[in-house]
Amino acid sequence: MNLEELLRGAQVRRAGEMPPAGELASGFAALDALLPGGGWPLPALTEVLCDDEGIGALRLLLPALAALSRRGQWLIWISPPHIPYAPALVAAGVDLARLLIVEADAAEGRRDGEERLWAFEQALRFLDCGAALAWLATVDSLRLRRLQLACEAGQSLGVMFRPSRHAAEASPASLRLKLTPAAPGTLEVDILKCRGRLRARSCTLAL
Amino acid sequence: MRDEARSYSPAANLPPPLRRATAPSSAPVVAAVSAPELWLHIALPQLPLELATRGMAERRACALVEGTGRKQRVVLVNSQAASLGVRVGMPLGAARVLGEFTGLARDPQAEARALAGLAAWACQFTPRVSLVEPDGLLLEIKGSLGLFGGTAGLLQTLRRGLRALGYRGYAAIAPTPWAATALARAQRQAVVTTIAELPAQLGALPLDVLRLAPEQRADLERLGVRTLAECLRLPRDGLGRRFAPGFVSLLDRLLGLAPDPRTSQPLPATFETRLDLPWEIHHAPALGIAMERLLHELAGFLAAQCGAARRLDWTLVHADRTLTRCEVELTAPGRAAAHFALLSREKLSRTKLHAPVRELVLEVREILRDAPPPAADLFDPRPRVSTENWPEFIDRLRARLGSHVLHSLSLVPDHRPERAWRWREPASADKSSSPRSAPSPREAGAARPLWLTRAPLPLAERDGRPELGGPLQLSRDCERIESGWWDGSAVARDYFVATSARGARLWVFRELSGHRGWYLHGIFE
Repeated sequence: MNLEELLRGAQVRRAGEMPPAGELASGFAALDALLPGGGWPLPALTEVLCDDEGIGALRLLLPALAALSRRGQWLIWISPPHIPYAPALVAAGVDLARLLIVEADAAEGRRDGEERLWAFEQALRFLDCGAALAWLATVDSLRLRRLQLACEAGQSLGVMFRPSRHAAEASPASLRLKLTPAAPGTLEVDILKCRGRLRARSCTLAL
Repeated sequence: MRDEARSYSPAANLPPPLRRATAPSSAPVVAAVSAPELWLHIALPQLPLELATRGMAERRACALVEGTGRKQRVVLVNSQAASLGVRVGMPLGAARVLGEFTGLARDPQAEARALAGLAAWACQFTPRVSLVEPDGLLLEIKGSLGLFGGTAGLLQTLRRGLRALGYRGYAAIAPTPWAATALARAQRQAVVTTIAELPAQLGALPLDVLRLAPEQRADLERLGVRTLAECLRLPRDGLGRRFAPGFVSLLDRLLGLAPDPRTSQPLPATFETRLDLPWEIHHAPALGIAMERLLHELAGFLAAQCGAARRLDWTLVHADRTLTRCEVELTAPGRAAAHFALLSREKLSRTKLHAPVRELVLEVREILRDAPPPAADLFDPRPRVSTENWPEFIDRLRARLGSHVLHSLSLVPDHRPERAWRWREPASADKSSSPRSAPSPREAGAARPLWLTRAPLPLAERDGRPELGGPLQLSRDCERIESGWWDGSAVARDYFVATSARGARLWVFRELSGHRGWYLHGIFE
């Protein structure tokens, strides 16, 4: 078997060649222009690395999430750090009837984060779930791989929010973004990794 | 299913065939047409042993022992014990020499309970189920054949069901109850549909299948009668004179010459079933098989009445007679054994056993009868076997994480930010159950953060300005919220959008009363 045959068999690909299977418009023209498929990769795991609260990491996703919920798909948030504020979600167009919050760290006698990971994976695998969001710190790469597979099995958008110190670790996520605050009201998005041809490495979004 | 069966079978409500009762009894009636009733007998010869072993994953050699002291004899063996060489009739002492096996004593009460439970389970096939003590069930199935795909389909479903319950049964179908019983007891998997075939089919059976009194049995043997054919060949008048009249009428009923009405077992109002474990179980996961057996019984019981359960109550009886209770709640009424098992396993695996378990009890106190029928989509050709629906998904999360960790959100028309929303039970997939009040123009216009802190967080203050890891830049305009004087938690605050030195946008307020402190109340994430 030579290289050409391998490439034809789709088991191996050249970097930047294959566009992702589907996409979901992010609602931010500058970001959509940057991402290879013209939006969030779907079904796939996306990693959002960000240290500061209040710079707009969730707002970045909100238009896509609102669109999914209006399509009747479930949004499942695993252990958000604060209370998701219903009036703001409704104002952003999210259908509250399609939102489930799982506060999975309360269970006793379990390894830290184990319940969250389990719930996250189950949510991703659930076919009626459009997007699952999880706020996680430490995840080993084996579990990350499982989460990526769960996204594919459940045809869902998986988003993990992690501190940016994990940027240097290898990750099987389809898309890895690093968010840093720029000028007031704007957000700098660095694409650390993505599938498909990347047009530019970073952009600045006005939220 | 009960109702469907009834509507399919006009015969089910008719009295037993009187026509045959008045027929001349000297010659067998030749009925070429199919019989008006069709009986299925389930014989469970191993029932006393299976009661003990069906809850265990591992198959150990077991034998049922009767008698006391030195007269203890083996009366029933399972295949593992048989392969050791243990035979029925052996003295216990002699059998013990052959190998290691568990000797079990008969528990007639438990057997009767199991048979009644099995009768309730069998009601999913037909409403007419009667007990044949101590180890058989009779089902009148004429009306159910259409629903289950004929005798072959019914037998297959039945066998699969019995296997799931952990019983090994022999089923035979015949136009009279006694004929079905005789064939099943002889372990013939026979299907006889006309009265005319009966004498030929029954002839070769040994007389044992009739379970005669010992003296009758001895009398017949003295006459040289060993099979039913030999018995039927004897002149009827002579038989009547020689034996008790009951014997001749038994033969008449066997051949369909006399009516043989049976009383149907009524379906109990609530469900309770138990399983004794022959060996003590120390780890909850080992209860899995036993649990599944009981859940299959429940599923049959529910299917029999198109019912559904919302709550399962498990009780573990420990060796020291203490109890551990464990309840499983479902989001939506369910009836599928697999779903029940998934939730129960999750729940039981989290239960710490303080003592070994000897018995498992399953109760369902409330049977919901108005639940929608099983979701078999007539117009949806996609196989939905492996995909779960929303209530099942919620149940699974609840079973592992606890019921208090799942929430949905809803809006509340209140100006106080902390009261403008509340948690609610995770919504069902039903859209209409979500009251959605549109945000008022004022709310839509004013900035609201995506995160609300769990409680307002006091902020440090310097020169009349709030601080959070450095001074906060406040927005020029503020929003005054003053509300709630009527319910004792009045709020009077000025809200600002604050920007931190790191660029984070925060929602802070200053109290208008008291010591006029600054608080962080939200984050514009």
